[in-house]
Amino acid sequence: MNNYDIELVSVSKSFAGLPVVEDLNLQIPRGEFVSILGPSGCGKTTTLNMIAGFNTPSSGDVRVRGKSQTRVPPERRNLGLVFQNYALFPHMTVAENVGFGLRMRGTPKAEIGPAVEAALRSVRLDGLGARYPKALSGGQQQRVALARAIAPRPTVLLLDEPLSNLDLKLREAMRIELKEIHEQLGMTFVYVTHDQEEAMAMSDRIVIMWQGAIVQQGEPDSIYRNPATRFVADFIGRSNILSVSWSAGEAAFLTLNVDGSPIVLRSACLTDPQGIRSCCIRPESIVLLDGTQELMPGQNRLDGVVRRIVNLGAHQELLVDIADGLALTVLVRSGRSSSPPEPGSTVTLGIDPHDVQVLSD
Amino acid sequence: MNRVLACLFWLAVGLVLLFITLPLAVVVAASLSPSSAVTFLPWEWTLDWYGALLTDRWLQPFLLSVRIATLVAAISGVLGILAAYAIVYERIPGATAIMAGLLSPLSVPQIVKGVAIVLFLSIIGLQGILGTPALIAAHVVLALPFVTRMAATSLANFDGNLDRAAQSLGATKRQRLQHIVLPMIKPGVLSGVTFAFIISFNNIPLSVFLVRPGDTTLPIAVINYLEYSLDPVMAAVNVASMIFILAVIFLFEKIGGFSAQLHGGSK
Ligand SMILES: Nc1ncnc2c1ncn2[C@@H]1O[C@H](COP(=O)(O)OP(=O)(O)O)[C@@H](O)[C@H]1O
Ligand SMILES: [Mg+2]
Repeated sequence: MNNYDIELVSVSKSFAGLPVVEDLNLQIPRGEFVSILGPSGCGKTTTLNMIAGFNTPSSGDVRVRGKSQTRVPPERRNLGLVFQNYALFPHMTVAENVGFGLRMRGTPKAEIGPAVEAALRSVRLDGLGARYPKALSGGQQQRVALARAIAPRPTVLLLDEPLSNLDLKLREAMRIELKEIHEQLGMTFVYVTHDQEEAMAMSDRIVIMWQGAIVQQGEPDSIYRNPATRFVADFIGRSNILSVSWSAGEAAFLTLNVDGSPIVLRSACLTDPQGIRSCCIRPESIVLLDGTQELMPGQNRLDGVVRRIVNLGAHQELLVDIADGLALTVLVRSGRSSSPPEPGSTVTLGIDPHDVQVLSD
Repeated sequence: MNRVLACLFWLAVGLVLLFITLPLAVVVAASLSPSSAVTFLPWEWTLDWYGALLTDRWLQPFLLSVRIATLVAAISGVLGILAAYAIVYERIPGATAIMAGLLSPLSVPQIVKGVAIVLFLSIIGLQGILGTPALIAAHVVLALPFVTRMAATSLANFDGNLDRAAQSLGATKRQRLQHIVLPMIKPGVLSGVTFAFIISFNNIPLSVFLVRPGDTTLPIAVINYLEYSLDPVMAAVNVASMIFILAVIFLFEKIGGFSAQLHGGSK
């Protein structure tokens, strides 16, 4: 017996011959908060529906706690589901909504009441049990949906873009709350979203999907620092992506030529140098050198001209031309003392070789 | 400019309302007139003509009409829900064709339908059921398109995620139908059933062919009476049935009872 709550084994799904999910392999350990992150249309909902049982895989196997679910209908999978549009039962009160799962399983009445109250307490809605869903705000409705899904104590909670209908402030507050509820319940959460910030903020692990396949998975930090492909580098956070080819050096001392320009970059990445096709540099890892600083040995040093500046409040975003047709986005913290350079002025950029992440596509 | 348009709009609305209510007002006034000729704006008032309604001559047809309309509403309600369920929820093969078939009675004039039903019954040797059973069957055929259509529309508008949510919460199909699907389509079905009741209660063109002499529905009794006399009793009958229909609509509206959830608030 392994420790996985959910396993997808070579799962594929096509609709009318069109493949939507292809050969997906995924293992979700018990108790983890896992996000499935990808642009819309990449097959996230389809994947979640195959776990829940509403879509049957064209091939492959879905397992819950080691048991194949092929012959198990959705109502016997014991998985909680939270939808983007809440999907509350409008003809039932909040308490009736939350107690629905227990009622359908024939739980004795005496146990339903306390369970409903506990579930409402954990989403901080105690006292609203007698209301109808329509009388609640969007955020409250989504909490009711959450309470309804967790009240029967499902094996896993599946959430499909649950915060997308809420406004930004509420969404950010709910992220923290969802994370707290996850910790408090110790239940496995599978969270589907197209919002990379949301996934970064909450997840123990992120699974990045693109065009029906998993392109990378790992802890949020490691995905951010070591994106595996151009797509991931571009999709997660902001990045400068440059097409490069390896010219010299081994292991931690790679020398890369930037295609179509005389610029040379040093990278400290450990990969097969033959496979390098491009590299990614995060805007916040580039520093402005003002001449007084000593260059660290091996550090990249590039001269450029500031094309434009965008004031983002806490940060200034500079677009710096470093060669013909080649510009880098640089993020510098707005300081009280130092004023940002003027557009048109010449600057020197410093990039640590560890921050030049090589990519194979 | 907008002012003028607004004035014209309200003028049109007023005229339409007047056009609808004025004839009713005439009938109400006539039913209260002491003179036995039908007059509008009588100077004296009486309820005598209503007293005349409380005799077997009018009570029998009224009760028969209520009985038939109630059965028609119930039967077409059940059949309409089942048809809509099969067509929209289960999407059985040939759903569109079945729906078209169920709606087809709408396109045949009722007189033609009446003749066809009488002929059909005598050809298959079932003249014996002419009268109440045939009336009920014919009215159900007439009302079914309305009920089916309304139930189907409610089901089509029903958010499939509710069904999926219930299923993920462990509800079997029977439980989902009972606790989610039926309550959600109840308002639509109830308005369909209200239509069915009224269609049956008011029907003349079909019923004319199917009633047994001496055992008539209220509208047929009115037609028969009109052949010999036009007096305020007529007006009283019409006002009384109008009030009855309004009461029925009100009752169904109450049973529908959806205002609480639509407008929020506690139970
Ligand atoms: N029932 C279906 N029939 C046909 N195509 C579908 C169906 N469900 C989803 N798709 C297609 O599959 C692709 C992935 O959809 P979905 O899983 O909903 O993406 P996501 O949730 O990542 O936005 C989309 O191109 C969509 O059009
Ligand atoms: Mg989706």
